[in-house]
Amino acid sequence: MYEAVYAHPDGGSTVARQALTASEYGFDGIVVRNHGDQAAYDAEAISASYDIDVVDGIEVRATDPSRASGLVGNHRSRRTVVAVHGGSVDMNRFAVEQPAVDVLAHPMAGDGDVNHVLVKAAANNGVRFEFSLHDVLHETGGTRVRQIQSLRKLRELVEHYDAPYVVSADPRSHLDLRSPRDLLAVGETIGFTESQIEAGLAEWQRLTDRNRERASSSFVEPGVWIDDE
Amino acid sequence: MKHLPKHLQPRWRYLGVELETWPDTDIERRAFQRELWYAAQDLIGDAGSAALDLTVYTFEFEDGRGGAVVRTHRGETARARAAIATLSAVDGDPVGVRVRGVSGTARACEEKYIRHATEAPEQRQVVFREAEYDAVVRAERVDVRTDDGFSGVTDLDCQ
Repeated sequence: MYEAVYAHPDGGSTVARQALTASEYGFDGIVVRNHGDQAAYDAEAISASYDIDVVDGIEVRATDPSRASGLVGNHRSRRTVVAVHGGSVDMNRFAVEQPAVDVLAHPMAGDGDVNHVLVKAAANNGVRFEFSLHDVLHETGGTRVRQIQSLRKLRELVEHYDAPYVVSADPRSHLDLRSPRDLLAVGETIGFTESQIEAGLAEWQRLTDRNRERASSSFVEPGVWIDDE
Repeated sequence: MKHLPKHLQPRWRYLGVELETWPDTDIERRAFQRELWYAAQDLIGDAGSAALDLTVYTFEFEDGRGGAVVRTHRGETARARAAIATLSAVDGDPVGVRVRGVSGTARACEEKYIRHATEAPEQRQVVFREAEYDAVVRAERVDVRTDDGFSGVTDLDCQ
């Protein structure tokens, strides 16, 4: 199971500290998905020191779809995981219509909303919706109630159209991380099944493996590769 | 009152909870217990909170790290985990929590899941991102005091 984190300067902790904590918590890997402002880090050294996979990702944040489109194009060939910062109707619509996008992050945050049209488009294009548990873990009262309601709406649509999804606690620092077991328990309390949360955490890993395979030199197209022997 | 016969006594489970904060935060047992009750009540309501009956059994916290044994009813450990996971701050200071495991007795829980502080953290200057900062160092973990609060880094990031 993998977790997708924000690291310094986008969050309060560096990639190494997130990796150390995530490894102790029982994750097999972390996807670093800063909003562009990335400090350099040595993924291999971190990975070797703390026995955890460190995946190079990005969360594209833009005010309008045309700018986001350029950024997605720029980063697609360089990053393993490309996510789009969702949370407005325009950006959600843009992300689900781009097969080059891997993940639509926190689509229900802020003014964000989804409907059956967007979910169908995401299922066709293989864009994963993110179920962000951040507000469930860190907010209380009305804000959390609305967030749980919108997660439920998204879940019902995703179940109906069998759209792909990922789950994350959206940790901004190592203190925001929660272990997989704890996330399963939280998920169950707000109406997910254990297997849904588990599948959502594992999906980051599947996505990483697929994209790494695609980026390797022997890859031609799905199901076709160059055999060295 | 005379205590209940053994087969009518409640069955408990003990959760070993690990706590981490920035080094300038201090958590007291009462504050932790209060936040735990609020977390349970906020997430699953009064009825759920009563069913869990979360009680801090043992508690220790020093220099930004600590552990607690939290008692709950048998059969409620999943909801107890969820409530504990939503505890994100004590008195407004952010807290990292993890349930390391569940035991049938408080003693087994303490022995298996509570790590006692071995040595006090060290205060020293470190170089992080080409600037010098005060830092609190505990083995590979380094908490750097920057202008806007602490940053969590490790020995790989600094000199």
